[in-house]
Amino acid sequence: MKVIEVKNISKTYTLGAAAKDSIVDTFRGLFKPSSSSKQTFNALTDISFDVDQGEVLGIVGKNGAGKSTLLKVLSRITEPTNGEIVMRGRVASLLEVGTGFHPELSGRENIFLNGSILGMTRAEIKSKFDEIVAFSGVEKFIDTPVKHYSSGMYVRLAFSVAAHLEPEILIIDEVLAVGDAEFQKKCLGKMKDVAGQGRTVLFVSHNMAAVKGLCSRAILVENGKLALNSFEVEEVVQLYSRQGKEDQGGSSLVTFENKPNSVLELGLKDEESNLILNSGNLSFRVKFHLEIPEGADLNIAFFTSDHQKLFVLLGNEINNGDGFKIGVNELIFTLPKYILNKGKYYINISMHKNYSDFLFAKREAFYFTIEESSVVYNKYPNLVPGPINLY
Amino acid sequence: MMELKISSNSPTKFSTIVTDLWNYKDLIAILAWRDYKVRYAQTFLGFVWAFIQPLATLLIFTLIFSRVAKVDTGSTPYPLFAQSGMLAWTYFAFLISQAGNSIVGAQAMVKKIYFPRLVIPISKAIVGLIDFMISLVILIVIGVYYQFVPSANILYLPLFILLLIIGGLGVGIWVSALTVRFRDFTHLLPFMVQIGMYASPVAYAANMVPEKYQWLYALNPMVGVIEGVRWSIIGGEAPGQLIFFSIGVMLLLFLTSLWYFKKVERVMADLI
Repeated sequence: MKVIEVKNISKTYTLGAAAKDSIVDTFRGLFKPSSSSKQTFNALTDISFDVDQGEVLGIVGKNGAGKSTLLKVLSRITEPTNGEIVMRGRVASLLEVGTGFHPELSGRENIFLNGSILGMTRAEIKSKFDEIVAFSGVEKFIDTPVKHYSSGMYVRLAFSVAAHLEPEILIIDEVLAVGDAEFQKKCLGKMKDVAGQGRTVLFVSHNMAAVKGLCSRAILVENGKLALNSFEVEEVVQLYSRQGKEDQGGSSLVTFENKPNSVLELGLKDEESNLILNSGNLSFRVKFHLEIPEGADLNIAFFTSDHQKLFVLLGNEINNGDGFKIGVNELIFTLPKYILNKGKYYINISMHKNYSDFLFAKREAFYFTIEESSVVYNKYPNLVPGPINLY
Repeated sequence: MMELKISSNSPTKFSTIVTDLWNYKDLIAILAWRDYKVRYAQTFLGFVWAFIQPLATLLIFTLIFSRVAKVDTGSTPYPLFAQSGMLAWTYFAFLISQAGNSIVGAQAMVKKIYFPRLVIPISKAIVGLIDFMISLVILIVIGVYYQFVPSANILYLPLFILLLIIGGLGVGIWVSALTVRFRDFTHLLPFMVQIGMYASPVAYAANMVPEKYQWLYALNPMVGVIEGVRWSIIGGEAPGQLIFFSIGVMLLLFLTSLWYFKKVERVMADLI
């Protein structure tokens, strides 16, 4: 059964109008439609899709592509300019965790407040109260004002309330990007449960691993339109990953601001661009500056383009524990032959002292693409999936 | 299964406003409760403040209007006279300023989640009722002190309270929706409240206004309401036709405010 039918939705914003409107115009507008010609912006253009009951639909797209507007329209926060949406069942939307949380109120009071805002009745909240508290893990502080909570506790409590909503249709925006890794895992598990109970979920995320793991279908939003006619998760994820900034072959080296105690350069040693045709010998070079080398180390983390961490290399190990010198250091390291499969990857690099204080950190510092990897790839092109390749 | 249609320009029916609000009655209650709970958070005196503020105002009124300006209230003791006017005015003033600023004050919520937005200003009417009750308690204590016995008019008081709520919400909802687009109203509100008090028979009696300006004075719908409240508590001359004018204006304000609010509600999250 179709639970959600989205038919030709468009949303147009008038640019710069809010501040410039005069009161007179508005009062005139009360009685007759305004005829002014203002600059407009189409945040969404002619979007249509259906969602069946029990389906988990991923909504994927770059920042500014229109995902948030789509969610706002779907969750009735704002009206579409054109088109129609039909929803069958109780809808709850979670565009943020902890909406309406008040710092002066205790955890207990905020559960009731936030639950009501999310659309639960008092009786419902009461019956789930213990579960919510247990899931959040803040039992001890449940009667403390939340302004004294750590940000992690705050977010855990907020998510717990949301996780215990029992709507037929749930709309979620990237709320999983909260809390520590362990809690994120718990959240993902909870989401899987929700989906398993025959409820319909719309899930917006940048985390392709989560999309792959949770969604049965997906749509890709680009410039306010559906970029792909297909709803296959795999296709959508691939196209999205290709849209990333690593798209075209770029420089084989990135440089950073020349400052003391920071990474200066990171890139591939013997390549002309960051597009590598064959990953036979993949050597990287990193240049960095240190004022006090004692206790300092470098952390080089490799990720797939959908943000799965692959492995981490430590500067001191690459250097065989020889330590670093004051001033500019250079490290060269080579990955085992053919280890990376065909695909896009990036490196997070950070420099820290005594494994705790960060001197420098850069996420997605360097992107590179491997077009073809192992020697056996040509022989079995479809049989060697996954980022790591051992042949 | 419940079916929901979202589209542009779906017409608003009055009945949907009522059912929407009924479905969200828990939220109205909890928002009002939050406001009240938070108001005296981390204060030493706490709830005592709720008494200090009206008592201090009453004391100042009594000193200035009764002792210095020598306002004549006939056989009625001045504190009783002033408190019955303040009872009405304070609630009205609270409602227009709190409800008026309520949508902008709740913008974080408005942008992130759907609920009938009317819930926000309406919850303020309930918060105000708590202060109203405190003022009423003060009035009763004063009445006991002066050994005052109210007449049967008191039966009309609930009616006037209802009129106060409708009128206060009418203005408050209008302002809250206008503020979404024009923040000017945030600055205008304090003036409205201040001027409104002097333009209403709070500290003095309506019949003290010169005869030839009475018609102008009566254009303020609060004149009829405050006189009505005072009449139902203290007795004396009935407010007469004035009260029907007030009822008419308040009802008109209230109904048009719902209409305008619903109109703005569609784009509230975009404009705020």
